[in-house]
Amino acid sequence: MTSNKYLYKLSFIILLFSIVFFIQGCEKDLPRYVAFEPYIFTNLDEDGGTWKQIHMSSIEQIIIEAPTDPTSDAYKTEVAATKAAIANMTSDDEEAIKYWGNNPIVRWNEIARELAAKYNLIPPPNADGTYSSPDPANPSKFPYFPFAHPPYTSRAYAYMSVAQFDALIAAWHYKYKFGRPALYKNEGAVKQLLPTSDLPSYPSDGAVIAAVSREILSVMFPLEKEYLTAKSDEAKDVLILSGLHVQSDVVAGDSLGRGVAKALLERAGSDGMKFAQSPKPISDSIKNAAFVRFGWQWTNQESPVRPVGLTPLCGNMKTWSVDDLEAVRPPVPPAIGSAEFNKAADELINIADNITTEQRKIANWWSDGFNTTTPPGHWNKLAVDYLLKYRYNPLRSARTLAYMNMAVQDAGICCWEAKYYYHYPRPIEAIPGFKGILGTPNFPAYTSGHSSFSAAAAAVLAHIFPVEKSFVDAWALEAAESRIYGGIHYRFDSEAGLVQGTKVAEYTINKARVDGAD
Amino acid sequence: MISNSLIKPTYSQQNHYLVKNQILLLFLFITLFEINDIKAQTPSDALMMKKSELCIALIYQNDTWDEYWEGTLLRDNQNIGVLTRNTALPMLAYGVSSKFNVIVALPYVSTEASRGQMVGASGLQDFSIFAKYLLYELKKESGSLSTFVTAGFSLPVSPYLSDYLPFSLGLGTQEFSLRGIINYEHKSGVYLRGSYAYLHRTTTEAERNYYYADGSFYTTTMDIPSASNAELALGGWLFKKAIQLEVGYVTQTSFSGDDIRRQNTGQPTNKMDIASINGRLRYFPSILKGLSIVAGYSDVLSGRNVGKSTIFSGGLTYQFMLKKS
Repeated sequence: MTSNKYLYKLSFIILLFSIVFFIQGCEKDLPRYVAFEPYIFTNLDEDGGTWKQIHMSSIEQIIIEAPTDPTSDAYKTEVAATKAAIANMTSDDEEAIKYWGNNPIVRWNEIARELAAKYNLIPPPNADGTYSSPDPANPSKFPYFPFAHPPYTSRAYAYMSVAQFDALIAAWHYKYKFGRPALYKNEGAVKQLLPTSDLPSYPSDGAVIAAVSREILSVMFPLEKEYLTAKSDEAKDVLILSGLHVQSDVVAGDSLGRGVAKALLERAGSDGMKFAQSPKPISDSIKNAAFVRFGWQWTNQESPVRPVGLTPLCGNMKTWSVDDLEAVRPPVPPAIGSAEFNKAADELINIADNITTEQRKIANWWSDGFNTTTPPGHWNKLAVDYLLKYRYNPLRSARTLAYMNMAVQDAGICCWEAKYYYHYPRPIEAIPGFKGILGTPNFPAYTSGHSSFSAAAAAVLAHIFPVEKSFVDAWALEAAESRIYGGIHYRFDSEAGLVQGTKVAEYTINKARVDGAD
Repeated sequence: MISNSLIKPTYSQQNHYLVKNQILLLFLFITLFEINDIKAQTPSDALMMKKSELCIALIYQNDTWDEYWEGTLLRDNQNIGVLTRNTALPMLAYGVSSKFNVIVALPYVSTEASRGQMVGASGLQDFSIFAKYLLYELKKESGSLSTFVTAGFSLPVSPYLSDYLPFSLGLGTQEFSLRGIINYEHKSGVYLRGSYAYLHRTTTEAERNYYYADGSFYTTTMDIPSASNAELALGGWLFKKAIQLEVGYVTQTSFSGDDIRRQNTGQPTNKMDIASINGRLRYFPSILKGLSIVAGYSDVLSGRNVGKSTIFSGGLTYQFMLKKS
C-alpha cells in the first residue's frame, strides 16, 4: 500500500469520527436545577396577614421597626444605593437574578431537597461488624450528621415550610400595616429586572424566606451552614439588584425571618427527634412487645446485622395536627402463613418471577432511596411544579408546602408508630428465598411509608388544587404499587398505608379549611 | 462488545501480513470492566483475516469479585458477597480484504450476588461492530513492524437497566471507539504490541428523574464518562506455532465522573478506572485446520469505582475461507 493510500484511509477514519463526535455534541448540558421563567403572580393575597399562623402565637410576636417615610432623605439615599448596585451589575449577578426569580420558595425547597439527597446515606459497618451513628454534637465526625432518612427529611421540609408560612403571614401583615410602596412606583425610576407587583416592599418577602430557610436548614444540616449563608447572601443581593427592594426592606425581612425560625427551632429541639433513634435495649423491648402481642417480629436482614431499626421511637414524635395516633393506626395485618398472607406472598413471588419492564420502571421511578430526596422530597418537587403552574405568590406557595409537609410528616410519624407497634417482617424475611429488585430498608414492613407519605401529600394537593385530584391520586396509587413491584412490601402494607395517609392528612386539611386563605 | 480477528499465523515468506492474534486478550479487555463496562473494546490485536476469510468464535467468561473500590476505598460488602458475571460471547470476523476486516459481536450476560436479597440481571447486552485497517507495515530480515487502526461502535440491544449496579449488564450507552495498534514481531516469533484507544460514550437513561452525582440532576439522562484504554502485551509462539502465549497489562481510565460515596451503590455516572494484568493461551490442534482453543486469565490490580475482578475465560474459534480467493 502506498503511503498516499494509507494517509487517505487514515484521514477518512478520522473524518468519520470527527463527524460522529460533533453529531453527538459536546457533553450535553444536563439540568442541575429546574429552570423557570419569573412570572406574574395570579394574585397578591392582600389579606394574607389575617390568615391563621400554624405555630406563632401572635401576628406581631416578632417585632420589626416601622420603615422610614418614602419622602425621607434616608429612604432616598437607599433608593440611590439600589440604583448604583444595579448600574454595577455583573453577568454573574444577572445569572443569579434568573436563578432566584421572584418566588424564592421554589429555590429554597430545591436547596433543601438537594441537602436531603446529599445526606441520605446510611452508616457503613465498622471493621468489627458494629455500626456507628451520626452524632449531632459532632456532626463532622464520620458518619456525618445527619443521616437524612425519610423521618428526618419529612421533618426538615415541614419545619422549613411551616416557618416560611408563618413568617410570610407576619410579613404580609407588616407590609400592609406599614404600606411602603413597591419600589417600581418610586419617582426615581428604579430599573426592574423581575416582574413587578403592587406588594408593599417592607419587609422584603424574599429576605424573610432566605432568613427562615437559612436558619432552619443550618440546624437540620449543620455542616452546610457556610453554604447556606452564601446562598442566602446571594438571594438577598438579588432582591436589590432586581430593583424590587432597598436595603432596609431586606434587613427587616431578614430580622423577621430569623425570629420566626428561632421559634420553630425551639419546637424542633423538643419534638422527640432526639430520642427517635433509640438505643438497643429500648429497640429490643419494642420488638419483644410485638412478639408477645402477635407472635411475629421483624429482624434486619443485612450483613452485618444492624442492631437497631430506623427510628423505632419516631412514633413518639410531636405531630402537627394528629392528636390521637391510635385513632389512625391501621388494623392488625394478617398472620404469617394465613390465607391472606399467602395470597400477598404469592403475588410478590409471581411479580418477581415475571417482572415486566413497565413494572420495573414504576418501582424505580418512586424508589427515592439512598442518595435521593426521599419520598417526601419527591412530593415536594411535584408540589413546586404546581406552584409554578398556577403562578402562586410566595405566601400562597409557602401555604401549600406548609400544609403538605405537615401532613407528610404526620403521616410518617403515624406510619412509623404502626411499623414498630406491629413489627411485621418484610417479604425477604417471611418468604423463604425471596429476592426483589429493590433493597429492603432497615425498618419493619406494615405499613408502607411510601404509601402513607404519598396519600397524605396527594390529599393536601387535591384540596388545594382540586383540578389536579385525579393526577395526584393516581401518583399516590402508583407510588404505593411501586413497593409491591420492588418486592419490599405486601399489598396489604401499601393499601393500609394509603388509607392511613389519607386519614392523617384530613387533620391538616381541616386546619387549611379555616385559616382564612380560601 | 469486542471482537477480534483471529488467524492462525504462518511464517510463510509469501504472507506479507504476518501477525498474531489476540482474541482472548481483546476479549479479556471487555470483561475487565466487571461493572458492565463490558463494552466496546475494539479489537486491539495485531492480526488480520485474509480476504474472504471468516472466523466464528464463541467464548465463555466467568468474572467474580468479592471486593470493590468504593471511590478509591477497597472494601467488601457482605450484602453482595461474591458478585459473579457470566458472559457468552459469540463473534464473527470477516476479511473484506486482507487490509480491511469487519468484526461483530453480541454477548449474553448474566449477573448474580452470592449474598443479600437482590436479584441479578440477565439478557443480551450490546451489539458491537468494528472496522479494522492495516495502515502500514515494514518488513525486515530481523522482524516486522505493523500498525493498525480500528474504529468501532456499540449500542445496547435489550432494554436492560444500566442504573442497577453492580448487577447491570452494561453501561446502557452508545460507544464510539478509535484505537491505534502498533506491533513488532521478531523473526523468532516473539512479539511486543501496544495500543491506545479513545472510547467516546454518550448517555444512558435511568428510570428516575432525579439523581445525585456531586450535585443534583433533574433528568432521567445520565452522562457516561468517556475513557481511554491502553495496553501493552508481550507474547510468542511455541511448538511450531501450535501454541500462542501472551501476557499483557491494560489500563482504562475515565476522563470524568463522580466517585461512589460511602455505603452508596455505584451509578453509571461514576469514574471507572481499572488496571489489570492478563495471560492468554491459544492452542491450534492439528486434528482440524482452522480450529483453535483459547483460554485466558485476568486479574485486576487497581481500580476506582469497579470490582476487583478475577476472570477466567475459554472458548473455541474456527476460521475458514468463505470463497476461494
